[in-house]
Amino acid sequence: MLVFFAPIDFINQLLLKFFSAGTINHVIWPFIQIGLVVTIVAGWVAYATYLERKISAFMQARLGPMRVGPWGLLQPIADGIKLLTKEDFIPEKADRWIFFFAPYIAVAAAFITFSVIPFGPDWAVITDVNIGLLFVLAVSSVGVLALILAGWSSNSKYSLLGALRSSAQMISYEVAMGLSLVGALMFARTLSLSGAVNAQQLDSVWFFVYQPLGFLIFLVSGIAENNRAPFDLPEAESELVAGFHTEYSGFRWSLFFMAEYAAMVIVSAVAVTVYLGGWYFPFVYRLTEAKGYHNLYVIVSLLVFISKLLAILYLYFWLRWTLPRFRYDQLMDIGWKWLIPSALINIVISALAIFVIQALNGWHGIKTIDSLSAGLNLTATGKALMIVMGLAGLGLTGLSLARINWRSRDFNLKSQRRNIRLVNVPKGKPAVAPIAPAASES
Amino acid sequence: MILTGWEAVFFWVFSIAAIFAALLTVMARNTIHSALFLISSLVSVSALFILLRAEFIAGVQILVYVGGVMVLFLFVIMLVNVGSEERGSEEIFNHPRQVTTSVIFCALLVGGLLYAINVGYEGLQKRDETAVTVAAGQRTADEQNLPEAATGSSRITKETERVGSGLYRYGSLPFEIASVLLLVAIIGSVMLARTLKQEAAVDDTAPEILQREAQHDPEIAKLQSTIAQ
Repeated sequence: MLVFFAPIDFINQLLLKFFSAGTINHVIWPFIQIGLVVTIVAGWVAYATYLERKISAFMQARLGPMRVGPWGLLQPIADGIKLLTKEDFIPEKADRWIFFFAPYIAVAAAFITFSVIPFGPDWAVITDVNIGLLFVLAVSSVGVLALILAGWSSNSKYSLLGALRSSAQMISYEVAMGLSLVGALMFARTLSLSGAVNAQQLDSVWFFVYQPLGFLIFLVSGIAENNRAPFDLPEAESELVAGFHTEYSGFRWSLFFMAEYAAMVIVSAVAVTVYLGGWYFPFVYRLTEAKGYHNLYVIVSLLVFISKLLAILYLYFWLRWTLPRFRYDQLMDIGWKWLIPSALINIVISALAIFVIQALNGWHGIKTIDSLSAGLNLTATGKALMIVMGLAGLGLTGLSLARINWRSRDFNLKSQRRNIRLVNVPKGKPAVAPIAPAASES
Repeated sequence: MILTGWEAVFFWVFSIAAIFAALLTVMARNTIHSALFLISSLVSVSALFILLRAEFIAGVQILVYVGGVMVLFLFVIMLVNVGSEERGSEEIFNHPRQVTTSVIFCALLVGGLLYAINVGYEGLQKRDETAVTVAAGQRTADEQNLPEAATGSSRITKETERVGSGLYRYGSLPFEIASVLLLVAIIGSVMLARTLKQEAAVDDTAPEILQREAQHDPEIAKLQSTIAQ
């Protein structure tokens, strides 16, 4: 096994003959890692289109692409060639410079973020900065700019409407996304993404069991942040032709496509890292690293990370072909009346739970906290308590928000209730006195 | 702190980019272009923050200013300033006189800043040489066991933790006051933007509230009767 995974050390030896150790560590290896990540993500983007078509086809009892190559496996390559050889069209009234640059901003914002994602331990992470999570949120918020600029510079009604929708949507959901991560950060005690994984490894638990509410909010707002169905209003093809990229064609259009799929990977990677333990999986360390197979450990961890990532990405495809698109007011309702308040409640509940755990530690001989050196490490009692409190928080938040939002127009339920009230059908909660005679309702 | 090697290169690249982007913000004819140059300037400044080892402030600068404030700026400019944009779409820069004025002011500012920095730096040098060396030595010793940054000459710091604990331990009162201020702003804007009449018009109020208000506001009573039909 050791021989099989030796190439990394072999390459290092080879490089040492030409460069100094510092250059290799700080320049050459990062460039190799960056090249690998960019290649793999670009390949993923190509095959994500294939996967999306196949999954949608299977869900609708069709076959999907079958003609190009076996099972249509070469379809993405054919699509790529088509997109690259198409005319790159710039509308006459467009703002040329911004029209030209917007796709590059989108791609840059999506790809830069990969530099801080910990794909695995040791050499599988490009860089570990101590503001990792903040960096991811900050750079992905720059992606909104690209959509707005693309929509505005096209000088077309559909594009502008798509851009306005997307900016309103992404700003609203960014708030919920940022707030939902705070709860998990209280357990990780660091903003570094590798630090979050280490905390989960030391605690041998995935944070979504402590933070079921935070995980749910993050997933929903992540899907909305990526403009994927059912939140794909910015490019709603049945209303806005294609939204902000209506006027784009060929290569520039494919750049937007690439940015969208790369951003999907980013959000899933953050969800996996913060809530699903990142590259940590039980027993992997004990079976590989502890027995001296270091490179095997890194590779197995990498595979663990990728399989978790694919599971979350499948959720994207699954939801896209399962749920219909939300109306604009429903979208804003979910964002502002459900996700943001529950994210705020989640912060309060997590802080209270941690306070309770700390207060219980050492009371009547109960021991809840193991150590605070890297993240909040709990003992078995502490873990059980924390899981119970997390679930209770989820239930409490859901119930209280359902009560508060009872009268709001979420999913247009209120108007349905009102109609029921007005025709005097006794159902559900006793209604207030009808404001108009029942006869007028028809 | 003396910048060496790649860090010096990055410093000059980003500071020159920040100055030129700021200049172009004033010079650009189109408001959207101005906003874009302002964004470039903000990004360059946040890169300078990273060189100063204030990663947290750099991240927050991008998140708040570029991702939040500037997006809203663009949003508003797009909706409001369509007419003047149409008229001036041929030219990229403002009239020559305006450009000259802004260049002169920029030169004055740069000159003043350079003078002030030089004077201040001399003052620093003169004040207490030994204390500076001791502090630098202390810092190097502190940073000895931190991991190395990508440029090789500086270290990855733990400033974020320090900002957090400092803010909540020693600055909690100003922090809370600022948060109350923001809360007041939010509630105020909601109160100003949404009146009961508006809410009633889109059928978003509880019927009993509407009934109560209708007793002393004839307009709402009129609205209420239209909704009921």
